[in-house]
Amino acid sequence: MPKVNKLYEGIYEVVKDKKQLATRNIDYGKVVYGEKLITFEGIEYRIWDPRRSKLGAMILKKFNIPIKEDFKILYLGAASGTTVSHVSDIVSDGAVYAVEFAPRSMRDLIGLASRRKNIYPILADARKPDSYAHLVESVDLIFQDVAQPNQVEIATRNAARFLKRTGYLLLSIKARSIDTVVNPIKIFTNELRKLEQTLEPKFEILCVKDLMPYHEDHLGVLAKLKS
Amino acid sequence: MEYELFSKDSQELACHSLALRENIPNLLPAKFDLKAAALECRFVASPSEYYSLLHEVTIKTAELQVSGALTPDQRVIQAVEALDDINENINSLSERLSEWYGIYFPESGLGGEALAIFVAYYGSPKNIGPENPLYPKTINSMGAKLETADELLLKGFAESVYSLYERKKQIEYYIEDRMRYISPNLKLIAGSILGARLISIAGSLEKLAAFPSSTIQVLGASKALFKHLRGRAPSPKHGIIYSHHLLNTAPWWVRGKIARALAGKLSIAARLDYYSGEIDPSLVEKLETKVRQIKASNPQPPQRMHVNETKNKKKGGSKCLK
Ligand SMILES: C[S@@+](CC[C@H](N)C(=O)[O-])C[C@H]1O[C@@H](n2cnc3c(N)ncnc32)[C@H](O)[C@@H]1O
Repeated sequence: MPKVNKLYEGIYEVVKDKKQLATRNIDYGKVVYGEKLITFEGIEYRIWDPRRSKLGAMILKKFNIPIKEDFKILYLGAASGTTVSHVSDIVSDGAVYAVEFAPRSMRDLIGLASRRKNIYPILADARKPDSYAHLVESVDLIFQDVAQPNQVEIATRNAARFLKRTGYLLLSIKARSIDTVVNPIKIFTNELRKLEQTLEPKFEILCVKDLMPYHEDHLGVLAKLKS
Repeated sequence: MEYELFSKDSQELACHSLALRENIPNLLPAKFDLKAAALECRFVASPSEYYSLLHEVTIKTAELQVSGALTPDQRVIQAVEALDDINENINSLSERLSEWYGIYFPESGLGGEALAIFVAYYGSPKNIGPENPLYPKTINSMGAKLETADELLLKGFAESVYSLYERKKQIEYYIEDRMRYISPNLKLIAGSILGARLISIAGSLEKLAAFPSSTIQVLGASKALFKHLRGRAPSPKHGIIYSHHLLNTAPWWVRGKIARALAGKLSIAARLDYYSGEIDPSLVEKLETKVRQIKASNPQPPQRMHVNETKNKKKGGSKCLK
């Protein structure tokens, strides 16, 4: 008999043999990327693999994830929607604006969005928030996982345009995509300084942790706008 | 404020949305709120109507963009990757056929496509008549007796192999044909198939045109490198441009120099194809002249002593690995 504990709004831990991260499936009976479904007391949970999702890893690393079911979220680097699908489960009464620039991934994402009413797929370059400004409203949270050089610039540029004053930024920084030679620690310190001091708008960092053992060379950052 | 409302047709709205992308800073105020505006001028009656219309429009827009993203070079990439898969399969299936048929007619001396056609047509060597040049060999064949059940299997198998050869030709023809207008200069210098492979490894003609020639020179080596690291292949010396006839027929000691010259011209060709599309026949001549010069000024392999040195180094290296 499985047991279910609530970790955050919409995010659960299903205990059946072992502990596993999960969200409540809003697309009943459907699987997105081969994940397991477990039903408990009439509710269907989708198991969420932290090794395939930076956000999943951040949750297990005890980031205090500020998320509610009516949140509007801007998701940059949606890929084919592995993590987006879980975010869509969580904000069952909100919206996920999912930005991705690779047409091949977008094909899968469109399929996902057509079954889930709260996903708004946007094929665009996250470096150019102007190009989707007419589609996206002010959001409560920006989540970014683009694995690109100048990740922090991309995040702040989008925050300037779309983030509510009370909103949060959740960022996955990949050391390798910035510089392959320089020591990751140096890269990370440098990127964090940009986030806090150099770029506009400025952020206050609430939590920083590496994402080991789920992802190598990745740093998770939770921040909110400096008041 | 004066305005005119669009129709609520999601297809039409998607087209407007696409048209807007480039012009937003000029057309919309900085913190423009589409939802508020849509509600205010009663384009939609409620937030929930707004969201469901937006959902439809974003999906429609993305669909339009994805279908428009299929550029001609992407089609050729699919074709050349399919060609590589077919070649791999042809090799292993042909080998299987010759192994299998060899039990019954080891003297045939045939292989590859010729063997596939032969087996698909005749089946058992017993069916070959005196008019066939292989007839004498069947008479004293040391092959085993081919029973009907096995013959049926073999014939069917050979037919499949033969049809793969046909598919291969069909794809090659398609690539030839498309490369003529997608990338005519690259086709002139590299040939259609190698040109298409270069585009495929780069990801698109646009990316290939953006690469420096030093990158083009080793393009394709990384695949071999990964194979090597997994212990399945020797270490790669070079990228796929080494399949070019100017390189694989050149003496080893000038290959590096020729590779550099070739990569340089390939890079120019890709840029011409991407940015102007005009054909420059002088590229090939220039390359050939350059190659002649390189060969003329390096007629002899470098000093023997030198060779020994590098050989010794290699030996030392491999010992370390063990
Ligand atoms: C590491 S993957 C994201 C995985 C995804 N977050 C998940 O967990 O399912 C990074 C994605 O960001 C996309 N990307 C990179 N740069 C981008 C940009 N400038 N704009 C939009 N998407 C980008 C890539 O195409 C890729 O699909």
